[in-house]
Amino acid sequence: MTEVSASPAPDNSAPFQHLHLHPLSIILKSAGTLGQNLVAILVLHFSMFDQNFLYTGLATAVLIALVVGVTALIWSRFTYQVTAREIRIRSGLLNRNNRSIPFDRIQDVSLEQKLISRLLGLATVALETGSGGGEDGQLDALSRIDAESLRDTIRDYKAGLEASDGEAPTSAVADDRPPLFAIDNRRLLIAGLFNFSFVLLAVLGAIAQNLDFLLPDDFFDPRRWLDALPEAETIDRLGSWVRFGGALAAILSLVAVGLISGIVRTFVRDYGFRLDRVDSGQPGFRRRRGLFTLTDMVMPIHRVQAAVLQTGPVRERYGWYHLKFISLAGDSGGETDHSVAPCATLPEIDPILNQCAIRRPAPDLDFQPVSPAFWWRDAILISLLLAAIALGTGFLVHRGFYALILLALPIARIQFLNWRHHQYALTESQLFVRSGWWRRRCTMLLRRKIQTVDVSQSPLDHPLNLATVTIGIAGGSAVRPLMIRDIDFNRATTLRDALIGRQNHP
Amino acid sequence: MTEHASSSSSSDPLEAPEAAAISSYNQGLTPLHPPQKSLIRIRMIIRSLVLLALALVAEIALWVQLGASPGLVLIPASLLAFLQILVLPHRIYRRWGYDMGDEQLRVLRGFLWRTDTIVPFNRIQHIDVAQGPLQRLFGLSTLIVHTAGTHNSIVTLPGLATVDAEAMRETIKSHIRQDMI
Repeated sequence: MTEVSASPAPDNSAPFQHLHLHPLSIILKSAGTLGQNLVAILVLHFSMFDQNFLYTGLATAVLIALVVGVTALIWSRFTYQVTAREIRIRSGLLNRNNRSIPFDRIQDVSLEQKLISRLLGLATVALETGSGGGEDGQLDALSRIDAESLRDTIRDYKAGLEASDGEAPTSAVADDRPPLFAIDNRRLLIAGLFNFSFVLLAVLGAIAQNLDFLLPDDFFDPRRWLDALPEAETIDRLGSWVRFGGALAAILSLVAVGLISGIVRTFVRDYGFRLDRVDSGQPGFRRRRGLFTLTDMVMPIHRVQAAVLQTGPVRERYGWYHLKFISLAGDSGGETDHSVAPCATLPEIDPILNQCAIRRPAPDLDFQPVSPAFWWRDAILISLLLAAIALGTGFLVHRGFYALILLALPIARIQFLNWRHHQYALTESQLFVRSGWWRRRCTMLLRRKIQTVDVSQSPLDHPLNLATVTIGIAGGSAVRPLMIRDIDFNRATTLRDALIGRQNHP
Repeated sequence: MTEHASSSSSSDPLEAPEAAAISSYNQGLTPLHPPQKSLIRIRMIIRSLVLLALALVAEIALWVQLGASPGLVLIPASLLAFLQILVLPHRIYRRWGYDMGDEQLRVLRGFLWRTDTIVPFNRIQHIDVAQGPLQRLFGLSTLIVHTAGTHNSIVTLPGLATVDAEAMRETIKSHIRQDMI
């Protein structure tokens, strides 16, 4: 900090040179754009060019020249400049954009390496300032060494701020220290099993839909398939056991697809997961993960707003939990919470939580339930709706539809279980909120990190004198904020006063 | 800051009895600046005009196409417009309330969907005082405070006298501290 103030402050562009991104990033970006246009070329090949390879080749050459040219032009106009206390990015072909991001405002720096970048030895640097919405500064891409040194520069700057005695900060990352949490392949497999999902089916469906020009015209026409099927009698002649077996095989294959896609997704995202504590600069967490796309994220500890312990009915029985942190910026991949331990036991989680002074609820902590209206009101509403649908369709379409009303039972049951699992507790420094029966979440919030508190009542709440308390945290999901639903109105206001009153005396 | 809140409500002698009548609806918090009621009414008039225009089109269409009896759409629509202009503004107005505490701002609004928000001053990142053309006519302003929260990061308080809004901004400004998140 002292050396910084020695240099002439505002116009210090002279000693800091304008740097370009790595030239190989032109290839990287062109490849990305070309990949998107591949489909267009294929479409042209089959439609306008009548499958004439000469035309297609020509069009491809023109496209490649155009894309590479424009990308190179953009590259040449994109410069960045790392000064003593900020980073300036100049970009734009026609509209020049000059952005400066002070190091003070940078919340976290993450390095990301997609598969091709890894082969080329490049890394993308993403700077998060915590302002709402999207990227704040992205350098796509630098050589791995430049990217790491840039990250270290920013971290050292912050370290210099912390260490006011002017001691030269070291940027050595203690790689030899044991990690806070790491994951091996066996654990990944377990995590994958619980990540059961039908995403793969959806992906296959999407591929089929996007590439349907490759399929015969009447592929989606059910009549074609009815014709192709053997006569219905063939099926009828088969024994009932065979039919049962067929149905079973269909269900099993669905389950297998779900399991495999869960495992694949988990491996791709969390392979080589490793969480370290970094002490150079601001103390923080450093997380590395990824099979193809390698991400390297550093998150300062004091930015952690809350921790979320996520599990499910089966997972909890075996003692597996997923620990996430809510911080200012969102995680990569569009997730709002930062995953810090994808599949861990409680003894493994405690040391991580200890780093940021968050404690798990003590076993004897008295959790408050919410009003039973939480389940019976929804159950009644859903039953009424189902009854209306069942009566309507049963009367108009087929009598079998009356059976729809039976769905009300499992729905009411699930809602009841959800109610049993929705609880909250308040301690000296933390607020605990549990929710969900199938997707169990236990949010552990530091009370001094609360931003706003809402007490709201919907028209259905007035007759029962209930209220919902919504707690505004920096970060986390905007769609599903932290809520304590359906508690007595007076309890809600008392709780709010307790939450707000505490934090004014930190 | 409580002195400020009370002074703004009692500065106008005409305002005092009305404030007392309102207190049961907004839990005794400071009501909005009275011209806000006229502003709501003007907005409702504009909305009603749009509604009536649409109703007229629907009415004519139904009459020409199906030969529906006249007044099928227009009569309920004008009834609704009548309610919107004469009844609603007062009811909306009296359900609003705010309170500048020593360290926090409280905003209460709505009846069927009722929300009561508290924002501690030291959580506020920045403040806007906004004024639209209609608001300028009545000397009203909207106070908008931004927090770092993802949920409810923008808390708006419309219908303040511009002088009050600016005074509140100054008060809050002195509480904003660096790097509270």
